[in-house]
This record gives sequence, structure tokens and C-alpha cells, in this order.
Amino acid sequence: MNIELYLQSGIVESYALGLATQREVEEFEQLLPHYPELKEALRDFEYHLELFSIDNEVPPPAEVRKRIEDRLRELPAISDPRQGGTRGGRTEFVAATETSHHIRVHKIWRTLFIAVFVLAKIFLILAIYYFIQYRHAEKALRQSPPSPAASQK
Amino acid sequence: MVYSRYGGMLYSYVLQFVPDKTEAGALLVDIFSRLAPQLQEAFDSSLSVYCWLQVESRKMILEHLRSKGMGTAAGAILGRGPGTTVSYFSLLEDAPPEHQWVFRELFLYGKSKEELARQCGKDLAYVSQLLRECLGMIRKNLG
Repeated sequence: MNIELYLQSGIVESYALGLATQREVEEFEQLLPHYPELKEALRDFEYHLELFSIDNEVPPPAEVRKRIEDRLRELPAISDPRQGGTRGGRTEFVAATETSHHIRVHKIWRTLFIAVFVLAKIFLILAIYYFIQYRHAEKALRQSPPSPAASQK
Repeated sequence: MVYSRYGGMLYSYVLQFVPDKTEAGALLVDIFSRLAPQLQEAFDSSLSVYCWLQVESRKMILEHLRSKGMGTAAGAILGRGPGTTVSYFSLLEDAPPEHQWVFRELFLYGKSKEELARQCGKDLAYVSQLLRECLGMIRKNLG
């Protein structure tokens, strides 16, 4: 596909402004992950469009925010059944099948693991050091002649 | 948060279609209350949040105008419409009237290129060419 020609067709602008037909949208979204040029052109256009809109924004009437909040409060709370939830005071459980071989733990475990690892190394070095010291002392004892007091007994 | 960031921008966008400030305000309430529960779609979309909001808002505005039978009566808004701020049409100020007409009919009234081709007695390629040139001008004038 000639991506330059495709870009010149105005597809990026059509897509971002909502003027593209369903077929054009589907085609564009299929091509998007494969052509970085498309992504870049889209980001660039969106960026400039947003800047233009910021420059020309008009503050909405003050009561609009309140009316939106009121309207949103009226909406029924919808819970995603995949998340589980409570209905009528009863806790609902959704059967879940674990497929991943990974676990996620709190970040503090990383620090704890490093601390335990370092301490283990220190103890290992100390153990080796004292073991060598002990061997030297034992050897020295064996090599030294018995004291006169000990021989008199 | 979304309203704080995009409320003014979207209000200005709505005013391009509906110059009446009271009606535009009511539409903005509708837009935010209908789109708020779907915001995850905006984050999953290939579009930026703002462009997604615009695209979805436009669908709702056109639906509103059609339900009021205003598909073609929203006015000959070009450049600065009555009560509106600078619109996307200001980016086409230097374009020939035929170009402006094509963009207005497609963007403001949601007509299809086929409809426009039939309406002006030209072929689809001609309308597509005019739209392509309009979009090129918009891109150029945006920055």
C-alpha cells in the first residue's frame, strides 16, 4: 500500500473529525498498528486540533456542571458482573479460572527480599569466616606442646 | 475532571452546530451524562480522548437536530455563526464557496458524499476531491 497516497486522501482528518464512513474507519483501524506514519499523522492532527479548540473554548453556563452531576446521580449504579458485587445485601461470587503462572505481590516484598538476601549473604560470609577461624584455632591447639602444669598432673 | 478539561472545548464545539446558547448548554448536559459511563471506550480508542468526545458528541448533536427536523435548517453558519465562537469553518475562510458548502453539508448536517454528489449533480469523485482539499486546508491552517 502506498501510505503517502493514503495519507493525502485526507483519511486521518476524516477519521479524527468523525467524517469517515464505517468502512473507512474499519480499514484505517486495521492499518493503524502496521504503519507508524499513520499513527504519527493522527497524533499530530489531534494535537493541533486540540490546541485550536483550547484557544477557542467558551466557558459553558455555570449551571451546566450542576445539571450534569444531578443527571449522573440519577443513573443506576451498574456493576460489572465480572467484578462480582453485592445485590440486595447478598454478596455474589463469580467463579474464576486462574490461567496465569504469575502472581502479583505488594511492592514492599521487593525491599524485604533484597534485605533478606543481603542478610543471608552476610551470615554466610560470617559463618565461613568463623569456621575458618575455628579450624585455625583447632590446628594451633593441636600443634602447640602441652603446658608444664598439664604434664605434671 | 473530564468536564473541567473538555467542558469549554466541547461547548464551543456544540455551538458550531447549535448557535443558541441555552440549547447548546442542554445538549452539553446530554452529551456528558450519556458519554460519562462510556469513557473507558475513549481510553481504548485509537483516537485521543478529546477527538473521541468530539466524534461521539457530533453523532448525538446530529441525532438531536434530525429529531427536531433541523437536518438542513441549522443555518448558513459559516465562519462565525450567530452566537458562536470561531468554528472549524474559520479554517476554511479562504476556500472557494463550493468547498465550504461540501464541508458544511458533511460536517454540520452529517450528509453522505453520495447525497451531496446527487444534490449537486456531480459524481462522487468530484465531491471526494473537494472534501480532500478542504481537509488539506484544515490541516494546513491548524498548524
